[in-house]
Amino acid sequence: MEITQIAGFLGCGKTTLLLKLAEMIADGGKRKVALIVNEIGEIPVDGKIIEEGGMTMKDIGGGCICCEVAVTFGKTLVGLYKQFNPDFVLVEPTGVAIPHQVKSAAKMGMRDAKLTVGAAIVLFDATRPAELLDMDMLGNLVVNQLKDADYLAISKIDAVDPSELEGIANRVKEYNETAEVIFISAFTGEGLDQLAKIILDGEG
Amino acid sequence: MTDSTEVGNTDKGCYTDHGVSGYGVAVRLTSKQIMGENRVKEIAESMMMSIAEKCMDLGARAIGHIKSHIRTDCGTIKADTIGTAHGSYSSGKLEHPVKDLYVAINSIIQGIPEAAVKAATLEGIHEIADQNDIFVVKEKEHTYFDEFDFLMSKEEHQQQLEDQFKAGDEKE
Repeated sequence: MEITQIAGFLGCGKTTLLLKLAEMIADGGKRKVALIVNEIGEIPVDGKIIEEGGMTMKDIGGGCICCEVAVTFGKTLVGLYKQFNPDFVLVEPTGVAIPHQVKSAAKMGMRDAKLTVGAAIVLFDATRPAELLDMDMLGNLVVNQLKDADYLAISKIDAVDPSELEGIANRVKEYNETAEVIFISAFTGEGLDQLAKIILDGEG
Repeated sequence: MTDSTEVGNTDKGCYTDHGVSGYGVAVRLTSKQIMGENRVKEIAESMMMSIAEKCMDLGARAIGHIKSHIRTDCGTIKADTIGTAHGSYSSGKLEHPVKDLYVAINSIIQGIPEAAVKAATLEGIHEIADQNDIFVVKEKEHTYFDEFDFLMSKEEHQQQLEDQFKAGDEKE
């Protein structure tokens, strides 16, 4: 059971991407895919949207899986392993989660489940780079997310001028030189094959 | 088992260190006039924008996201925004016009406390409802419309939605 997280700040397109990747990886039922969605704000709106897509989905509320409800996350992974034994679990943390802490929380499930903690794919919203990076408190959070990325996926590229993309990539690379940068659009499908391959190959 | 010290502080959410607050609420809206899919989408998008504007007016530094999920007896509509400068978007389908909307809204905002997010969210809902001659019949924090049997009749489906509100009462 391979665990991959699709992380990134609020509103960067995680839920839309998660659904598309899950369909690609499941490939019409050839592989078993389960989804875990974590939201702050008490109401699992994302979870309901995903459920309507027909996927096996567990939503974790009541806090953030990288800290407040980390133990619940570990137990949820064990429960998924025992009930469904999926090949792949795609995790959407809250938009404020710190990816390395999500990985640590996932490892808590290793005692009772045979699982591998795979890549942290961190999305960065191409439509609002300055808004995300240039504010003190918020900027620190987003930078911490970028630093933890195994892959940096610059999202919503269909919504910005292509001439801006190199500059955006250079900005995020300032915080993480080693992560590969991938340009994606869940709307056009660009870059999604590459992300699906990363998950299928267990890279990270 | 991984050393729990690797996991972040579990006393409070990591997001509180970054000034991020969240608020969720479920409401039932009822209109005397039937509302078609486009009108429901317009109302949902206006609600998202109204909440976002009110959050900014109250001192928010950024909108994380404001998302809504609207259930009816003939389909669902989703609407969201990531900020006043970004507009709001909706998707989904309704098979026919409706009078009752069961709406769940999640507002995640940076720069203002939860009480302010709550105030902006509720004011935004009521403002747009008033503008569209819609009544806010029920309002319940931290409740969601969770259990459904979609093979039931529309009357029974609506009863399930109402039961979710009652379930929330019992929990409290």
